[in-house]
Amino acid sequence: MSTGKLICNDLVKKYGKKEILHGIDLELEPDRIYGLIGRNGAGKTTLLSTLTAQSPVTSGTVTYNGLPVWENQDALDHICFSRELNPLIGWGANSLKVKDYLKAASIFFPHWDKQLAERLVQDFELETKKKICKLSKGMMSMVTIIIALASKADMTFLDEPVAGLDVIARDAFYRELLSEYTETGRTFLISTHIIEEAEDLFEETIFLNDGRILLKESTQALLERAIHISGKAEDVDAATTGLAVYHPEKLGRSKAVTVLLQEGQCIADGYDLSSQPVNLQNLMVALCGPDSQHSVPDSQQNTPDVKTGGRKGR
Amino acid sequence: MNEYLSQEKSIYLQIAEMLENDILRDVLLEEERVPSTNELAKLYAINPATAAKGINLLVDTGVLYKKRGIGMFVASGAKEAIRMRRRNGFFDSYLSSVLEEARRLNISRSELISMIGDNYERGTKES
Repeated sequence: MSTGKLICNDLVKKYGKKEILHGIDLELEPDRIYGLIGRNGAGKTTLLSTLTAQSPVTSGTVTYNGLPVWENQDALDHICFSRELNPLIGWGANSLKVKDYLKAASIFFPHWDKQLAERLVQDFELETKKKICKLSKGMMSMVTIIIALASKADMTFLDEPVAGLDVIARDAFYRELLSEYTETGRTFLISTHIIEEAEDLFEETIFLNDGRILLKESTQALLERAIHISGKAEDVDAATTGLAVYHPEKLGRSKAVTVLLQEGQCIADGYDLSSQPVNLQNLMVALCGPDSQHSVPDSQQNTPDVKTGGRKGR
Repeated sequence: MNEYLSQEKSIYLQIAEMLENDILRDVLLEEERVPSTNELAKLYAINPATAAKGINLLVDTGVLYKKRGIGMFVASGAKEAIRMRRRNGFFDSYLSSVLEEARRLNISRSELISMIGDNYERGTKES
């Protein structure tokens, strides 16, 4: 197992004049499974491709084990970003047959595990003589999964690996991932929109919102401090005074909010309220949804619980 | 083991609880090895760190102990210890919510007691 960390500092990425990533600071440890969560257009794929030197940064630094990753084979030998394959493009990788694409990957990745790749091809019942562009969306995802797992790279990034996969194939992927992880201690960072079923895999979750890191925290700790409170509106307000409150919803006299507690805080006693645990998906809606406007009490304005990323504004 | 995980409670607590349930119903016997962290992780498709947290909880309470290089084992006396601890927590875990609902419905103390008395002997609780 490698001990190298992947670190980026004040990473900014612009496409033309449009700034996509606004000063990202991130540190990825060895032997972890990270979840990367964010809305469409939040910058997830851009972040993954700049972290893995598939796309140049506009400013800022990205290093692996202290070495810059850009055009640096010593660092890139340990990094794999298995890109999502796009069915609409008929050229490039997509014009290759599956077996030739895998062959290319086996040359590209120095630690390629041929046996693992072959076994996964069989398990997923992939037709390797087909051209990539002729595959269904789910089969394309299988190809990206095989490349990610068989690359044996210490830092492996998967972008939407389960998109289009049926539930049985998704389950198979989660188990393959865990068995590879428990055997090797490689780090995996996985972006996904199917949050509900993947959240238990993530030791840490990274929320990316509008080109900024909103949160990076142990999934367990994060969920333990998130609570959904509902009841009579004035009771909800009274019990949550002074707390960080997100995503208020009102219906008549009833109100519900999502609360993120800070250490030592709790919901005030003495009110007839329902409090329920929040899963990662609920939390994502509460923090990143259109009605996520939140009230953080004055006393916390200087030390907000939610990181707004390195730089504010543009 | 093999119960479904729910969203209502932290996963590691559920892992600990399921292992305890299996000890109570003799699926896991005292002085027997319990599934490893990695086995649990794969079975439930959860992060091994979460599974380890559940197991460590049971080590802390003395239900499991570690045999170096072999794995985790059920301590002797674990079954009775679990039963005692759950008895002690019975009010907070179960009765307090019953009382809360009873008060909300204006069910009096004597009504509640007679309801329990009438139904205690019947295995099933019908209204």
